[in-house]
Formats: sequence, C-alpha cells, structure tokens
Amino acid sequence: MLRVEHITKNFGSYRALNDVTLEVRQGSIFGLLGPNGAGKTTLIRIINHITQADSGAIRLDDKPLTDEDTLKIGYMPEERGLYKKMKVGEQAIYLAQLKGLSRKDAEQRLKQWFGRFEIESWWNRKVEELSKGMQQKVQFIVTVVHEPKLLIFDEPFSGFDPVNATLLKNEILRLRENGATVIFSTHNMASVEEICDDIALINKSQLVLSGSVKEIRRSFAQDRYQIEGHLSKETLILPQGFELEQMSQEQGSKEFSAIVRIHEGLEVNDLLLQLLPQCKITHFQEILPSMNEIFIRSVQNDKI
Amino acid sequence: MKKILLVIRREYSTRVRKKSFWILTILLPILIAIVYATPVYLAQKPITTATVLVVDETEIFTHAFQSNKEVAYKRAGSLDYAKRQLEMDSANLIVFIPSRETTIPNDAFLYYRTDVPGSNVQSDIKQQLNTILHNVILEDVLNISPDDYESLTHTTIALHPKDIETGRDGFLEVKMILGIILAVIIYVAIFMFGGQVMQGVSEEKHSRIVEVMLCSLKPFQLMMGKVVGIGLVGLTQFALWVALSGAGLFAIKAANPTLFEQAEQRQNVTQIATKGTDMTTQLETAKMANDAIPNSQAFVLTQGLVAINFKLIIPLFLIYFLFGYLLYASLFAACGSLVDQGSDGQQFTLPVTIPLLLSLMLIPAMINEPGGTVATWLSIIPFTSPIAMMFRLPFGVSILEVAVSIALLILTFILCTWMAANIYKRGVLLFGKQISYRDIFRWFKRG
Repeated sequence: MLRVEHITKNFGSYRALNDVTLEVRQGSIFGLLGPNGAGKTTLIRIINHITQADSGAIRLDDKPLTDEDTLKIGYMPEERGLYKKMKVGEQAIYLAQLKGLSRKDAEQRLKQWFGRFEIESWWNRKVEELSKGMQQKVQFIVTVVHEPKLLIFDEPFSGFDPVNATLLKNEILRLRENGATVIFSTHNMASVEEICDDIALINKSQLVLSGSVKEIRRSFAQDRYQIEGHLSKETLILPQGFELEQMSQEQGSKEFSAIVRIHEGLEVNDLLLQLLPQCKITHFQEILPSMNEIFIRSVQNDKI
Repeated sequence: MKKILLVIRREYSTRVRKKSFWILTILLPILIAIVYATPVYLAQKPITTATVLVVDETEIFTHAFQSNKEVAYKRAGSLDYAKRQLEMDSANLIVFIPSRETTIPNDAFLYYRTDVPGSNVQSDIKQQLNTILHNVILEDVLNISPDDYESLTHTTIALHPKDIETGRDGFLEVKMILGIILAVIIYVAIFMFGGQVMQGVSEEKHSRIVEVMLCSLKPFQLMMGKVVGIGLVGLTQFALWVALSGAGLFAIKAANPTLFEQAEQRQNVTQIATKGTDMTTQLETAKMANDAIPNSQAFVLTQGLVAINFKLIIPLFLIYFLFGYLLYASLFAACGSLVDQGSDGQQFTLPVTIPLLLSLMLIPAMINEPGGTVATWLSIIPFTSPIAMMFRLPFGVSILEVAVSIALLILTFILCTWMAANIYKRGVLLFGKQISYRDIFRWFKRG
C-alpha cells in the first residue's frame, strides 16, 4: 500500500536517513522501531509530506505521494499539540475541516466519537482546562475522524495510563478491522509483539531490519527449546551437540522443565529422538527471542 | 485555497471574539477623548479668585490694574499694612513695586505666605505690569494713544503658502499634522499586528500544534492564513475606530453647534474688512474679527482638511497599510518560527524593527523638508516607505514617485514573503535548538 523507496535526507552535514526502503502492506499494522535519534520522526514526517526527502520517493497505492494524499493520512505526532485557548469541539471541527470534511460531516462524526469515548461533556471546554490524558484522547479523535486509509502514530502509548492505553490499542485494532493501514513508531516492544504484523528497525539513519514479526523472530531464533515432561529415569542425559542450558526438577519428583540448545548441524528431530526414550513429553516449544532482545541485539551489533 | 480560508477564519474569529479585542476597540477612543477633554473641562471649572494687594511706590501702576475672574487687585497704602492683611488672611498675595531713581521701574516683587501663586496668576500679574508700563511709555514718552497701538498689534498680515498650479491655499501646518498622524498610525498598526503574528507563530510552535497542522496543509498556507487573518482583524479594528470617532464627532457637533458656525462667521467678517477702503475702519473691523473668533485654529483645521485630497489619500493609506503590514508581518512570522521559548527572539526581531523605528525617528528631518532628499528616499525605499510616504502624501507627491514606491513595496513584499516562508517552514519544526544566522544562511545556500 505504501512504499518507501531509497529515501535519503540530510540536515546540513548530518545524514538523518540513508537510502531507506520499506513496504507497508495493505491492512497491516506496521511498527517503526529504533533508538532515539535514529531518524524515525524524520521518516514519518517525509511520509506525511511535512518534510521533503532529498532523494527517493514515497508511493501510495503505486502512485507518487501528492499534497492531496495528506487527506488520506491521519497523523498523531509524538509531541501532541492543540490550541490551548480554543474550545475542544470547535478545534476538533477546525482540524477535521482541514482534512477535507464538511462542517456538518465533521460535527456529526465528532459527536459520535465523543460519545464512544464518553467525553461529550468536554465539547465546550477549553483545551487548557483538560488534563494531559484527556487532551490525548481528543488528539486521537482528531487524528482518525476523517477515516484515513493510512494512520500514523508516533509513540501512541506514551502518556496514556494503562486503562486508556488499552482503550487506544483496541481502537487501533478496530480501525484496522475496518480496513485502515497503521504505522506506528514506538519503544514499547511488548506492544510490538502484541499488535504489529510487520516491523522495520532503523538505527543511525539506516534500515537494519525489516519484515514480518514472526519471520524476524524466527530468524533470530537460536535453536533453543523449552521442554516439560515426566522423566522415566533419574536424570536427563544428552550427548554432545545438545546443550542443557537450564534444568529444573523438584526434589523426589520426576516432573521436570528444561531449556536445550541445539548446536549447528543437528535438527530438532534429533533432539526428540534423544528425549523419547528418557521421558514422557508434555510440552515442547521452540523459544523465540522477544522483540526486546532482537532490538537490543540489532542495535548493539550495529555499534561494533 | 480552501485551507487558507479555514486558517484565516480561525485566526480572525478567535481574535475578534476575545474580550481584549473589544476592550481595546472601545477603550482606546474613550481614552483619547478623555486625554483631550480633560484640559477643556478643567478650564471651564470655576476658579478661586486670588486677592492681590498692590503696593506701588512709583504711582504708575496703582489704578490701571484690571481685576478679572482669577485675580482681584486691591490697592494698599503701605507694605506694612499689606503685610498685616496677608497675615490676617484677608489677602493672598502682595505685588510690591519699589520706587526707583529712574523713571521706568525694572523690578517688582510678589510676596506670598501660604498660597503659593500659580503660573496663571503669575502670568496675569506679569502681563498687566508690562501692559501698563508699555501704555505709560506709549502715551507719555512716544505720544501714541494705547487704543491705536492695540489695533495696530491686531493688524497682522497672514502668510498663505499657495500651490502655483492650483492656486489653492497650502495649509501646510494642517498637512504636517495629518502626515504625522497617518505615519504614526501605520507605524503602530504594523508593530501591533506584526507582533501578534509573531506571537501566534511562536505559540503554535511552542504548543507543537504546528506538526498536526502541517500534516494537513503547507507551511506557506499556515503562515499566510495567519498573516491575512490578523491583518483583517486590524482592518476591522480600524473600521470600528473610524465608526466610533465618527459617532463621537457627531455627538460633539450636536452638543456644541457653534464650533463650526464660528468658522463661517470669521470668513464673513474678514471679507467685510478687506472691502473697506478707509484705513481706520479696516483696522477696527480686523480687530473685531479677531475678538469675535477665539477659535481660529479650529477654523484653519477644518478649512485645511477640506483642502486635502482625501480621495487619493484614503486609498493610498489602505494600500500602504496593506503591503507594509504584509511585508513586515511575514518577516515577523519568520522571527516567530525561530523562537523556541519566547524570550530569546531579540536577535531576530531587531533587524526587522530597525527600519520601522528609523522611519519614525526621521520624521523630524522630514518635517524640515517634506520634499527633501531624506523624505524622498525614505518614501521610495520599501522598508520605510509605508511610514515616510504617509507623512509626505498630504503635501502632494508626484504620481510617478508614488507608483515607483508602491511597485517597489509590492516587489519587496513578494520577495520577503518568499524568504520568510522558507525560513518559517524549517524554523517551525526545529525544536530544542538555538538557531543562528549561520543556519538561516545555510538554508538559503542549499535552496
């Protein structure tokens, strides 16, 4: 749906993005990851047509991005901002009109959203009277009210309490159900595992990793397996090539739990063949690294 | 275009609905009226009369003092007696003219106790002393009747600057006052509304709303929407002020219709005076005319205003206000985009405000020579022309000069807006970084 092709952007002598290429599939939730200062916000601004790239292209539905396309995008920046002195309802209508909605449409849809979030009573209050969390809700509504095909959230969960963060997460998932494609940048790796289909990791202006979360986790897998079962002898003995990283067994009991790493050249079935005569397996699972581990490993590898 | 209109509407409506807008709109004319009305009101207030005892050892002045509303003159035989009266509070002041060996006295003394004499009383005493002394000299030494002398002093010849082409009166003083007023209005308006633009931009940047806005529209649209919206607020305020002053003038006219009649009266008397052939009657009527019309300044003002070509000045005022404002407002917007926390904008605003301040400070130089080199150049150079040209316009400026000046102003406005938009679009998204002139220069070098 969205293709970022060889984007390069310099600020003076500093290169903020270097030849970044990635693709966001229609209807997916795409996580844009990277440490602070990696260039995520710059890339998001380029996709939003706020900043222009020095070279490369952004293609939306196989057509180069134009000014008109900004109407199809909803963007919630990391640093939220609203006019403090304006009334909430009036401001929401204004921002929705800038996204191409008619006044009447905007008002009708906003009333619906305010109803969903149970914040109708805020309509005539000034933004400065709202708490930060309340402002975030308003900000979210004005981001999505024009029903954009592409939603971009920069650190959407920062500043939300757990209740509202869950509310927000469910809303994002619901918008995806309704056909929207979502890009969000975050540091929260748990939320990435939970809701992202694909990710891209940017570090020091370079794209270091991209693909589906499943594939990436698999590719980072280190052939480690979690085994639980009932031993038929006193203890578990594995030949060379299998490394027993962890073994826990209650005293006097034959129930055990172990983590085994398979060295190169051996297969998972070889492990099973070794295990079968020794125990009754109740649980067997490959251990996939968490996104957190992958993130830290990729960023640290990059440093070396 | 639709988006610019939305921005303009927001900027306009949020400002016009503010209480402060209406307070300023209504309060300013009232304040100005109060400033002008207070002296008039005070002058009409009944005044306490000071009793002055005159002790005249020279015997020249005693009978000639004339009491009036402010000062009552009484004769006293001796200084000692007068001093006692002062101590008993039955008099406020003593004028003592000691005898001298010379026939004409040089010094008089004003004694006071608790009531310190005000400047009005002092000047009345001084004036009476001098008039009496002059009359004595005229009559006794020069043998001229004081009445003849008075009609002589009232006979003046007026100097009328006239335009040789139209043959009309110049009314240069009125034009000068009008020129200064117009120039100051433009100066204040540019500063006030330009400042609002700058403040608005830096608020948008500071509250980070700008990033939300820029994902919907171009930086140029946001900047121009703000500039135009605030400009319209300014025009609205002008229109309201004009309407309010018009209503005020109408009220004054209704309350005091004689003010304008006097002007006509004077014209008639002067005509009679000039028709008379006899020198003496002419002198007398001229004196009459002057006595009848205390308000001759108001007359000159009204006559002068009639003589000025407002049909040309008003549209030109609007043109110079519009483009002068647009030129400066876009520069102020650029300044606002460079300021992160409000306080450190001085280094950027200073170069913008210097030409404005300069043109205001050079008005005295232009007063000396309304058509001189300084005035001409200042009214051509785009950054100073809105103020300088407004000052010069009432005196009449050649169409060619005005055309060149406006053309240059519009050209500079376009150039500056382009520059400002380029600074704005980068500055407004740069957070937490001190921007220097070198940075701005680099932006332009890279295009």
